[in-house]
Amino acid sequence: MDLSEKMVTGRGNFVDDINLPGMLHLAFVRSPYPRARIKGITGGITSRDIDMKMASVGEGASAGFEYLEHPVLAKEYVGYVGQPVAAVYSENAYEAEDLVDTVDVDYEPLTAIVDPEKALSADPMYPGLKSNILADRYLGEDFQVDAPVVIEDHFVNHRIATDPIEPRGIVAAYDGKRLTVWISTQSVHTIKQGFCQVMNLSPDAVRVIQTDTGGAFGLKGGFYPEYVVAAWLAMKEGRPVKWIETRSEHLLASRPGRGVVGRMKLYANREGRILGIKGDVIVDSGAFAGGSGEFSSRFIAMQITGPYEINNAHIHALSVLTNKVPQGPYRGAGRPEAAFFMERMVDKLADELHMDPVDVRMINATREPFKSPTGLTVEASKPFLEQAVKAMDYQGHRKKGNFGFGWFVLVPATMPGETARILVEDRGIKVWLGGTAHGQRHDLFVKSILADELGVDPEIVEWQKGDTDQLKEGVGAWGSRSAMMGGSALVEAARKLREQVEKKYGKYSVSKLLDGKWDSYEYFHYDKPYTSLGANLITVSTDRYGRVRVDECISYYDLGKVLNMDNATGQNAGGCAEGIGQTLYEGLMFDDNGQMITSSIADAGVVKATMVPRYRLILHRSESTLPSKAKGLGEAPTIGTPVALSRAIEVATGLRITETPINPEYLISAVQEP
Amino acid sequence: MTEKEVSITINGETKTAEVEPRMLLVHFIREIAGLTGTHVGCDTTNCGACTVIMDGRAVKSCTILAVQADGKKITTIEGLSKTPGKLHPVQKAFVDKHGLQCGYCTSGMVLTSFWLLNKKKKVSEEEIREAISGNLCRCTGYESIVDSIEEAQRNLEKEGEYTEEEIPVRRGR
Repeated sequence: MDLSEKMVTGRGNFVDDINLPGMLHLAFVRSPYPRARIKGITGGITSRDIDMKMASVGEGASAGFEYLEHPVLAKEYVGYVGQPVAAVYSENAYEAEDLVDTVDVDYEPLTAIVDPEKALSADPMYPGLKSNILADRYLGEDFQVDAPVVIEDHFVNHRIATDPIEPRGIVAAYDGKRLTVWISTQSVHTIKQGFCQVMNLSPDAVRVIQTDTGGAFGLKGGFYPEYVVAAWLAMKEGRPVKWIETRSEHLLASRPGRGVVGRMKLYANREGRILGIKGDVIVDSGAFAGGSGEFSSRFIAMQITGPYEINNAHIHALSVLTNKVPQGPYRGAGRPEAAFFMERMVDKLADELHMDPVDVRMINATREPFKSPTGLTVEASKPFLEQAVKAMDYQGHRKKGNFGFGWFVLVPATMPGETARILVEDRGIKVWLGGTAHGQRHDLFVKSILADELGVDPEIVEWQKGDTDQLKEGVGAWGSRSAMMGGSALVEAARKLREQVEKKYGKYSVSKLLDGKWDSYEYFHYDKPYTSLGANLITVSTDRYGRVRVDECISYYDLGKVLNMDNATGQNAGGCAEGIGQTLYEGLMFDDNGQMITSSIADAGVVKATMVPRYRLILHRSESTLPSKAKGLGEAPTIGTPVALSRAIEVATGLRITETPINPEYLISAVQEP
Repeated sequence: MTEKEVSITINGETKTAEVEPRMLLVHFIREIAGLTGTHVGCDTTNCGACTVIMDGRAVKSCTILAVQADGKKITTIEGLSKTPGKLHPVQKAFVDKHGLQCGYCTSGMVLTSFWLLNKKKKVSEEEIREAISGNLCRCTGYESIVDSIEEAQRNLEKEGEYTEEEIPVRRGR
């Protein structure tokens, strides 16, 4: 059945919909303190039972931090509010929650390290550490330039909860030989790798099956302590175990994205030519290694020069420990931060020189492909910018007023490629991709590709959820990679299939294909970056209370070949809404003691239908050289929307914007009483 | 905890069970009636994934106790279409206009839309957005959902499938 029909009739199969005979429900005792020593625990499953440490797998994984790896259950100390300390279980989910109160933990609270900039010089969080710095690298070479214009600024992108509407969840079962888990995920392969590493299981002894996945946005590419406890209990008791995250747990203890500070210094001449950029990128990594915190500071620093030809760049990339849940990827994952820091500096330069912001951008765009001092490869960006400005009617908007423009380089996570399998039997076609859809509707582009490549009716093509028994290898669905990499693997697998049919019958035909049984697998290897360009233009209006309304949101993106238009417009619209969310509403806020003061999905700022406009996607068509001919998309709007919107608000209010989400009290300060 | 007997009519079938007074309606629907199309997304009545129709009104079933729903009539996503094998015009519109991506918020969105279009035949885009502002979607940016509801309005007009007598609509929020 078509995925849409299944969902509109309530016949999805999400992880919480699975009920197995004899199933146990798991609940967690979590730390109420951001930082404390554990003096004793009475009751529950604890680190005495499960003395294991988490592995870092999936998107933005890091290695070599053994002493800072997240314990499955806290041992000796806790590092953030919400950290799993003990687990309890019952045949009834309500009773499992009741049992949480029966576990007694004796804590000795310690002073929490909350602010990432202060954490750089604060006393080390754990004994044996010299400082709280988790990663410390310089990108580019130090330089000196004779610049008549030097501007500086300080930026903060606060942490954001990934907030898929379906929280995390798992069902684990064990038959005495093999662990089977059903899970809401972006990659069954990452989850399997996690179990094998942490629990020391052989790959044959683990099967991971994806359930319908109700959104993920980076969160569900990761491997989490709760999963290990569920599997451990299933193996110990020989009964299935279910754990479903509550929204409160999600906000406290699921890895959030962003949480980055930028301190930038830009050097330019009076004509607006940028001569160099220096600065610090500081990632609020949380209390343990293993999230994406270690990786993301250098990933952001690498992208700092954006679509510009800037010959001097020297960026200090720092990841620092704080008493918060480890940082993870959230749609964009470092890309929006880099664009925010750079585009905000370019707008400030334009204001300083009384120049039009697009004129400054044009002067610094490159006519030739360019490799920046920090390692970012960019195609010729000037022709793109000229076309974007025309297509989005920049001049027309300029006459009207409150609008902002921003552009960016999208760096999709192309490496190391992706897998696909096509199975033809009983006159039907089943497809598995190595990265598993979690709200992007891979089913749509899978149908389009096979209709093109094999000439088959899209109706008979069925996209399948992830299952490690059906597809032995795979990477994951994140980093704007699915149409590029998964799509290319599928194109290659389809071509192999055609060849098989030709070899057997001398000539390919759809009826010959469907009469037989065929199985085609492809690992499309790819080990280079493949960047593309995008731009956004946004108009706003404000009211007398300082409230901002987004009136127009235009995207001009180079998507390569659009495999399926519904896919493209859906990804654009959802991403723009999240970009608007980051700019105006979304943030996880902490008090000085390290307690989170964001208490619900509403506080966390997920946008409502009344907060967003209609969107317009204009295509800049230039096919990629990949088999799928596609380029990246998923994260593009989360990069371009915040920069364009921040500028629009700056123009509308006269207030300099350096922080997301923008504090409403700050916006009110611009409003004159009538 | 002392259990209490409740009878709730869900999609025309009456389900009677002894439940703890603290049991939420959404858990009665999911666990006791076994209808898993109604979802739980938050703990705080913000997201609307658990929306069902109770005596003609769209309600969030995570904020109502099963004992409060005793004797009431509930329509869930599984019972929206009265013709087996045929989609309700609102469901059909969500399929045709690509009104979903991951599908988790969908049952709540469809039922809120159903309630809205029963309450008012001609709705503006602004009214649609206001009506679904208690239902969160993180995938679509709402555009295709708004399109779906506008399409549903046209479908209902064409097919004359308003069900006002069957499901009396009370005053809104």
